[in-house]
Amino acid sequence: MNDIIKNILIGLSAIRSNIVRVALTSLGLTIGIFTVSIVTAGVSSIDKEFAKSMAYYGNDKLYVSTWPWSFDFDWWKYRNRPKVKEESLSYINQYSEYVTDVSVKKNTWIKATYQNKASWLQINGVYPSYGDMLSGTKVVNGRFFSQNEWDLQRRVVIVGGKVREGFFDGESPIGQKIKIGGVTVEIIGELKEQGMGMVPGGTLDNLVIMPSTTFKRILTRWGFDELVLRAKPEDLNKAKEEVAMIMRVARKLRPDQEDNFSVNSADAYQSQFDSLKTAIAAMGFMVTGISLVVSGIGIMNVMFVSVKERTKEIGLRKAMGATNNNILIQFLSEAIAISIIGGTIGIALVKLITIALSSYGGLPVDFDLLLIFYTFIICVFIGVISGMIPARTAANLNPIDALRHE
Amino acid sequence: MAKSKKEIISIKSISKIYHLGDNVVKALDKASLSIYENDFISIMGPSGSGKSTLMNIIGCLDVPTNGTYKFNNQLISKMNDSQLANIRNEKIGFVFQTFNLLPKLNAVQNVEVPLIYSSLNRKERLERSKEALNIVGLSDRMSHKPNELSGGQRQRVAIARALVNKPSIILADEPTGNLDSKSGEEILKFLDKLHKAGNTLIIVTHEKSVAKRAKRRIEIFDGKITLDE
Repeated sequence: MNDIIKNILIGLSAIRSNIVRVALTSLGLTIGIFTVSIVTAGVSSIDKEFAKSMAYYGNDKLYVSTWPWSFDFDWWKYRNRPKVKEESLSYINQYSEYVTDVSVKKNTWIKATYQNKASWLQINGVYPSYGDMLSGTKVVNGRFFSQNEWDLQRRVVIVGGKVREGFFDGESPIGQKIKIGGVTVEIIGELKEQGMGMVPGGTLDNLVIMPSTTFKRILTRWGFDELVLRAKPEDLNKAKEEVAMIMRVARKLRPDQEDNFSVNSADAYQSQFDSLKTAIAAMGFMVTGISLVVSGIGIMNVMFVSVKERTKEIGLRKAMGATNNNILIQFLSEAIAISIIGGTIGIALVKLITIALSSYGGLPVDFDLLLIFYTFIICVFIGVISGMIPARTAANLNPIDALRHE
Repeated sequence: MAKSKKEIISIKSISKIYHLGDNVVKALDKASLSIYENDFISIMGPSGSGKSTLMNIIGCLDVPTNGTYKFNNQLISKMNDSQLANIRNEKIGFVFQTFNLLPKLNAVQNVEVPLIYSSLNRKERLERSKEALNIVGLSDRMSHKPNELSGGQRQRVAIARALVNKPSIILADEPTGNLDSKSGEEILKFLDKLHKAGNTLIIVTHEKSVAKRAKRRIEIFDGKITLDE
């Protein structure tokens, strides 16, 4: 063991005396490790954000919409579909076995103002029952609106977690009055802050929820309606089929006609997201793979030069009693060290980028110890693979010829 | 010759045959030789005579094709690479014509090189290296790098390196070949001193004046030992 350490130290001293060459050689690995880390961290961050968005849609909810939830949205196919109407809810209420709660969800985006501040907010008009149907968030301050307020078309709203920061400098928004499309409304509730979502419309933070009756009265501009239905999670697929049937009946579709509506649920996004994620990961790993191979070749090349340069030293060490294994370890540890230096710089770069990104407030990138561990393993592996042939060449040199080498 | 002394090296009828394409070269042809404790031997011969081959075999850098070579009664001629490396490490000190110091290491570190491949710990290695430099009179040049030393000083560092593992024999290949006559003389005097201190020395040279310093002269020609007196 002691023997191995001594030879490793000899190998490492060669690094110190060739620092520029080592730095340039390890650059390839730096890039490789950098890419793989960014891709891994990025994918896992996207994953987390996505899970958050999924929580918002809920595993117990169906959304009856004009359009399917899809990343490859074919507008031409769906543009002639009739709008989803609140009236369909009465059919669902009447005939559905699995749906337990229903609400309309009217959507629009509008400029809201408070004193001299203005912001575009997403506005939802819903039933009082929607308060119990919220998923992935809840009312943390104040309360949801009541049936009475819905009946009376009261101008009361519940706001998302970011509104506090945007309008009220972090003060509680409860009881404050803001203007939405020129109409003054009072804030009676606040939702828990969600963080950024990955799916279009998948954030509750810049949201204003109001009674759908109020919505109809004060906001008659553009937007669209959806029906939000709740069922037990285990019944969701059955409920999905059932609701589709009821909708077909409600719309009086003939058997040969296609659905002119979509019943959506979170898993539709999930499968599409998974394939997207796989594509990103495959791309990243390909780039990484190439750069790792190239950097491995680079290290091998430099190691051959190093062996050639130090042929006489190898001869001398062998004459002084170094065994083949001593020499092998010396050169292998030099190769591994070059590799680890490259990997360390790569990891350091990733760390810097992570810090920069998180303070900038962009996509948060995850960074964990496991990543460092894997990087270390990869570096040792590449060091061994690319150093083995040059180190064996060095170890097997004939001491007499090596000593005579100039 | 003091035959009563302990025999260190016993070489019996060794040959070294190289195949260069279709040509068969006999670098050594049934040479026999015994070396005793505290011998001071010079080996002379023109280039191509086989003296380098003989020196490489004595130095355990190479093994003979035929014949037997015993070192302290151990059969060297059948040893593998790492066994040979151990013999070189423990029993043999090398001094080269071109010094062969490692340029990036200082004097002490250079002297330490053979000990790195022994089982000594760091502290012992450092002590032994300093002691060896003391013997060659360079205790004030411990941390100098080879390029900060004169030729004679460099060769003394190399001699210290050969002495440091307390070898059974010291093998010097043209030790004065790269030195001016004054430094060369200094080194030869020093080798004399080592002999008187009880060391066993073998000097390979082609200079008669150097060879004359030895107590026993061996000449080699065409792979055969032609003189041993």
